[in-house]
Amino acid sequence: MFAVLHLASFPLQAVLRHEPGAAGQPAALFDNARKKSVVLAVNATAAASGVEIGMTAPQAVARCAKLLIRTPQAALEAEARAAVLAVGFTLSPLIEDTAPGVCTADLRGSPPEKHRLLVTAALAQLHALGFTATAGIAPTPLLALYAARAVSVDATRTKNENEKRFEHSVRFVTDPSSFLAPLPLATADPSPRLAEVLAGWGLRTLGDVTALSCEAFVRRFGAEGLAFWQRAAGGELRPLHPATLPQHFAAEMKFEHEVESLEPLLFILQRFLDRLSLELQAAQFVAAEIDLTLRLENDHPYARRFRLPEPTARTEILFRALHTHLESVRTDATIVAIRLELIPTRPAVRQQGIFDSGLRDPHGFSETLARAAALVGSDRIGTPQLEDTHRPDAVKLVAPPATVASAVTTPVHAPLAPPLHRFRPRLPAQLEIADGRLTYLWTETVRGEIADRSTAYPKNGDWWEPARAWSREEIDVELTHGGIYLLVREGNRWFLEGEYD
Amino acid sequence: MATAPEKLAALRHLLAKRFPTVPRTAGRRLRTGIPAVDETTGGLPLSAITEVVCAAPSCGGKLFFAQLLAATRAARLRVAWVDSTDGFDPCSHPADELAHLIWVRCNGTAQALQATDLFARDANLGLVLLDLRHAPQSELSKIPGPQWYRLQRAVEPTDLALVVQTPRPSVPSAQVRLILDRSFSLRALDDERPALGAQLVATLNRQRLAAAG
Repeated sequence: MFAVLHLASFPLQAVLRHEPGAAGQPAALFDNARKKSVVLAVNATAAASGVEIGMTAPQAVARCAKLLIRTPQAALEAEARAAVLAVGFTLSPLIEDTAPGVCTADLRGSPPEKHRLLVTAALAQLHALGFTATAGIAPTPLLALYAARAVSVDATRTKNENEKRFEHSVRFVTDPSSFLAPLPLATADPSPRLAEVLAGWGLRTLGDVTALSCEAFVRRFGAEGLAFWQRAAGGELRPLHPATLPQHFAAEMKFEHEVESLEPLLFILQRFLDRLSLELQAAQFVAAEIDLTLRLENDHPYARRFRLPEPTARTEILFRALHTHLESVRTDATIVAIRLELIPTRPAVRQQGIFDSGLRDPHGFSETLARAAALVGSDRIGTPQLEDTHRPDAVKLVAPPATVASAVTTPVHAPLAPPLHRFRPRLPAQLEIADGRLTYLWTETVRGEIADRSTAYPKNGDWWEPARAWSREEIDVELTHGGIYLLVREGNRWFLEGEYD
Repeated sequence: MATAPEKLAALRHLLAKRFPTVPRTAGRRLRTGIPAVDETTGGLPLSAITEVVCAAPSCGGKLFFAQLLAATRAARLRVAWVDSTDGFDPCSHPADELAHLIWVRCNGTAQALQATDLFARDANLGLVLLDLRHAPQSELSKIPGPQWYRLQRAVEPTDLALVVQTPRPSVPSAQVRLILDRSFSLRALDDERPALGAQLVATLNRQRLAAAG
């Protein structure tokens, strides 16, 4: 059995799927290569309003005032073609890019009872990608194409429909002769001359043609007649020209109108990711990194590559990562083009150890960190790591580890004293000294009589590097109204560096 | 005519009747390693907010957090420390007790609350510490009450404990409120931290009981 996914008015669908709000609107594709522009393709809504192929723009708009007028976009068609193929690979590894908007899949490797289910799911996926498609399942590729074309498309279909509704968009051909018999001659695509002769004979359907003997038909019309008769009989079992799985997972688009806000950008990215994610899954890959490039009007590209916390091919996770990042991006100029590439890797197959303390939701964690970093600054969040020095407050922030290792055994010496609450920046302090004794402390926020004090601890370090050398004297003081503070003297200046709490 | 509290009570009753819910982790606690807390409350309630009021200088607020860091490190739970005044001193802690910590150095109370709102919804964390101990009173008093209830709603479906440290009672949605009001003396600087933790005196000011699961 073969399945064909058929997208009527494919060049028009390829353009409209990238326009938010265009779904369900009457639209027509006009030829922009000729002097007199005529309709090349119409969607079902426009056709229902009376717009036909070959009409001029004024004629079409006279029939349908709200008609969306679009022109062919080769890049969008290529993107749409890749998306259809990506869906095709969910049906079978052996698929053919038969024509624009026609994808043929060889279903002979899958159980016959699952054929309808598979094809229905593929139609639902195409719908999610912004396409309206029909499908046919038949013993030959050509017959499957006829079957797909024979299904009428419901123009009023909305996104809230479930998969069951797509069952009506699939035609399953079990008896080819009874299916073909009532189909009009145009189904088998006769040449104009042949069509005229057959019409003159009073032949109207494919059944009328196949009722004649093939030999007699060939004697009258030669090779052209043989080809037409075979097409009218549903074609032959032919090998497919296999489409290959993509090696690079990238998508790009130039915007017709410059983009200034996030929403249209996200819409396009969602479309890209839907396709790329399917391609990754078909090739049994997952994305390890995302490479995003925005081309700006001022020719300064914005490029960012970010590594995912855990490789994945799930669209919603990839989209969330991009969304979170783009929320904090401000560009100097409007965006004229976008490119997205997913860097593939093989999915890691591992079982966590029973005592491992990994992340429950690595992507959620990464997103939380990204959002928090966007809020406070990327250099102000992370796991603190002490530096190998005695310099005060020598600490750096590193990315939190993926797993929390077991704690080291209890240290020989437990830490002393309550932790310090550090004043950043430290507070300049003034001191009253009576009889060589510190008696009173003033700072901007802390002041009071000094009740007790420790011995002064001189400290210094990095003396072998003059630029980094430091030297100070630390004294702990207790105030009479409560509170223990770290007082520091550097030269003749005093600072309150923190409160032991 | 019904008064405002009566109307509120009637509304609560109506909501409770129409949408009966039981806290998912009612009764579950996070042991702190501080005898004064574990003995009185059984530990910090999960899926709820605990407020620690530091009513005196050097009363052990950071020591309280240090004990929590040690307890969660042993249990290998991830901790986020949202620091509203950038006062956390990593050098006061053993390096190994920082391995599970995410330090968020905020610039002001509003930013700290926003960051807490993010972390309180993360399923990977076991504890979120919001340090408002040195936040200016003017900023604390500007926090609208509903923001605290929003945080409470955020932690309810999670398994984490949210601990907020404030200079005076400020969190209306706190399930447990502890008050630390005894300052340490200079001699405490020579004592080992576990011994200091045992000396902490935390007065239980509020404990709302959750429905049993």
